Amino acid sequence: MSNPTAYVSLTGMSKSFGGVKVLKEVDFDVRPGEVHALLGENGAGKSTLIKMMSGLYTPDAGTIMVGGKEVKFSSTRDAAAVGIATVYQELLLFPELSVAENVFLGNYPRTALGIIDWAEVRRRTRDLLDQLDTYDLDVDAKVLSLSVAQRQRVEIAKALSKNARILIMDEPTASLVESDVQRLMMIVRQLRERGVGIVYVSHRMSEIFALADRVTVLRDGAHVATRDIGEVDENQLVSMMVGRSIESLFPKADATIGETVLRVTNLNHGRHVRDISFDLRRGEILGIAGLVGSGRTELALTLFGMTPATSGEIAMDGKVVRIGSPRQARDLGIAYVPEDRGQQGLVKSMAIRKNVSMATIERLSSGIFIKAGEEAQRALDAVKRLSIRCRNIGQPVGELSGGNQQKVVIAKWLETMPKVLILDEPTRGVDVGAKAEIHTIMGELVKQGVAIIMISSELPEVLGMSDRVLVISGGRITGEIARAEATPERVGAAMTAHRTGEAA
Amino acid sequence: MNVKSLIRHETLLALLLVVVLIVLSFQSDRFFTVDNLLNQGRLMTEIGLIAIAMTFVIATGGIDLSVGSILGLTAILTGVFWQNVGLPLPVAATAAIAAGTFAGFVNGVIITRFRVPPLIATLATLALYRGLAEGISQARSVRGYPEWFYVLGQQDVLGVPTQLWILFFAAVVASIILAYTTWGRTVYAVGSNEVASRFSGLSVEKTKLALYTASGFAAAVAAVIFVSRVSTTRSDMGTGIELDAITAVVLGGTSIFGGRGTIVGTIIGLCLIQALKNGLSLAGVKGDGTIMLIGAVLILAILASNLFERSGTRT
Repeated sequence: MSNPTAYVSLTGMSKSFGGVKVLKEVDFDVRPGEVHALLGENGAGKSTLIKMMSGLYTPDAGTIMVGGKEVKFSSTRDAAAVGIATVYQELLLFPELSVAENVFLGNYPRTALGIIDWAEVRRRTRDLLDQLDTYDLDVDAKVLSLSVAQRQRVEIAKALSKNARILIMDEPTASLVESDVQRLMMIVRQLRERGVGIVYVSHRMSEIFALADRVTVLRDGAHVATRDIGEVDENQLVSMMVGRSIESLFPKADATIGETVLRVTNLNHGRHVRDISFDLRRGEILGIAGLVGSGRTELALTLFGMTPATSGEIAMDGKVVRIGSPRQARDLGIAYVPEDRGQQGLVKSMAIRKNVSMATIERLSSGIFIKAGEEAQRALDAVKRLSIRCRNIGQPVGELSGGNQQKVVIAKWLETMPKVLILDEPTRGVDVGAKAEIHTIMGELVKQGVAIIMISSELPEVLGMSDRVLVISGGRITGEIARAEATPERVGAAMTAHRTGEAA
Repeated sequence: MNVKSLIRHETLLALLLVVVLIVLSFQSDRFFTVDNLLNQGRLMTEIGLIAIAMTFVIATGGIDLSVGSILGLTAILTGVFWQNVGLPLPVAATAAIAAGTFAGFVNGVIITRFRVPPLIATLATLALYRGLAEGISQARSVRGYPEWFYVLGQQDVLGVPTQLWILFFAAVVASIILAYTTWGRTVYAVGSNEVASRFSGLSVEKTKLALYTASGFAAAVAAVIFVSRVSTTRSDMGTGIELDAITAVVLGGTSIFGGRGTIVGTIIGLCLIQALKNGLSLAGVKGDGTIMLIGAVLILAILASNLFERSGTRT
């Protein structure tokens, strides 16, 4: 299936890890000057495919043709040599070095004397950034001082410095705020104009329809379809990805809202939690919207005892409590599913069973001994109840897909029988199918009387799931909007609202 | 996958131990005798006790370099409390062990309260405790302990050296703790991902504090056994013993980055080192040759287990 117009074409790519076939004879190609979207649920094989294209993995079978000639990549250097560059999801820059140093790292232009020509490095970096319309970025700034979006542009500049003909972008918008997403999309379009072929991996349908020329869907390691974007609609793509159709994305369940369970009054911690007051009732989903850095996560961490409040009052069921540690929070019935699943949510190398029991290990013990039978039973129940897809409960959590990992974190906290469940970006990096499942789980929980605080960067999710929306900006509540009145405009306006009164 | 690779490492190591024992018994007919083997067991008890506690410490991703100095300090205090202060010997030994345990507790406080990395904290107390030991001893050694005291270090119970019983008992208890208790679970969780452990409401700090205290206790008990074995007390006792213990632990498959390790592995690693040391010296190999060989074995064992682990896990 090698396409004469394609610059890179992969045929019959297969790859196994430890006996598990993660990619089965997949064909894929990229033409110059097109955006080719790569879609699939987590675990569908997208990462494996792009890692083979960029020389990180060697395929077990299949051929890679570049410019009509067959090539074999034994390292990323080989792929870079033929013009294939990758911007990974976790950006691989050196935080202590400057922008210019990062862009030309390993590739520095030299003077006649063989010394690095710093003036040239800085000039060319400036050029590259200007080409990306990034006039505001200082080439001497240390990378650690940059935002995620800026770092991403540095990565793209780095790829361009090597004259990339194909640019692979792995979920480039996963951790960007809306305005940065727009800017990135502009850059992608510009690169396309210049004849760069772009492989665009993303979960977000809106971006795919706005950008892509063609789209390829993978499912369970196999190639499902490659289509021109004009031939498909969103529903078709989703059902190709999950192999079934999904009724609705935000199945808001109607639960009876009961009495107040949590009351927060004038809560403060540092610069990011300022004078926060709100009530939360049983069976309610309280959405928290706000830009990254607005203090949403800090508020959650303060409620969870990670960064205890410096002043203000928290009352559970009408009783004033002090929460000084996650342990105390847990004992009071507050659970927190953190934003950073890999670092904060899970011990990836440990089995599902051990992760599920982690927050309740004392309760699962008699004396100092863990009741292994009961622990296993509870894990089995959790796997069943939340339909966590795994080989068995002894499987390390790190081997699961993003959505299933998230379900394990949720399972861990449901074991504590929380009254208040705080979910921080519960569906980030989770595929469409698992996302709907997580939303369904939330619906069931509120029916049982659990109160949920949901923090999300995704406005449709906040609007679709919440009974009430709190908007936070600069550490303060800048809006409290009931479900009926919550529109993207109103919430968006509150998100960027300038605080009245004192300055930051 | 994880459990499998662990078993693999230990099986590999056990096989290696068997091979080494066979080869060494051909090298010298004095090696593979009951007397010699039991005597070797006697010699490895002190390192063994320390290595068992060190397994826990390293499994959390920490390290304790001060154990040798704690051993020296406890040994000196035993002598001083008994001879200079005039306490009855059992009381003196108990008090000295308490002091050694406290030294470990201080390590724990420095590490958990003041957030000093374990390597730095215990490197500092390595110097501190050794200096203290030397200051207290004033370069004098204590001798002439009563005869009954040597039961611990020089005599047998049921035909087996007394201290080997202690080591055996400690190993069994430690294995059970590490494998079946909430505490052991916490050790592995902290070693694998400290942040997630904290976010799960595990008592990370308390566990670490307890571990470094236990490490001090193990070194202190080893000190009393040491004194009883060699019938004398000197302030330089236990110098460098931390490296022997760490070698045994790492050879036994405990990951220096934490999250992985077993007591069985540590004990096999310990036996392997002791067998090499003794067997080679009986076969006429000089001391420096033995050390080089132990270094080589350590590297090979780690390489082999890394190889096993890499096949079949994805990044």
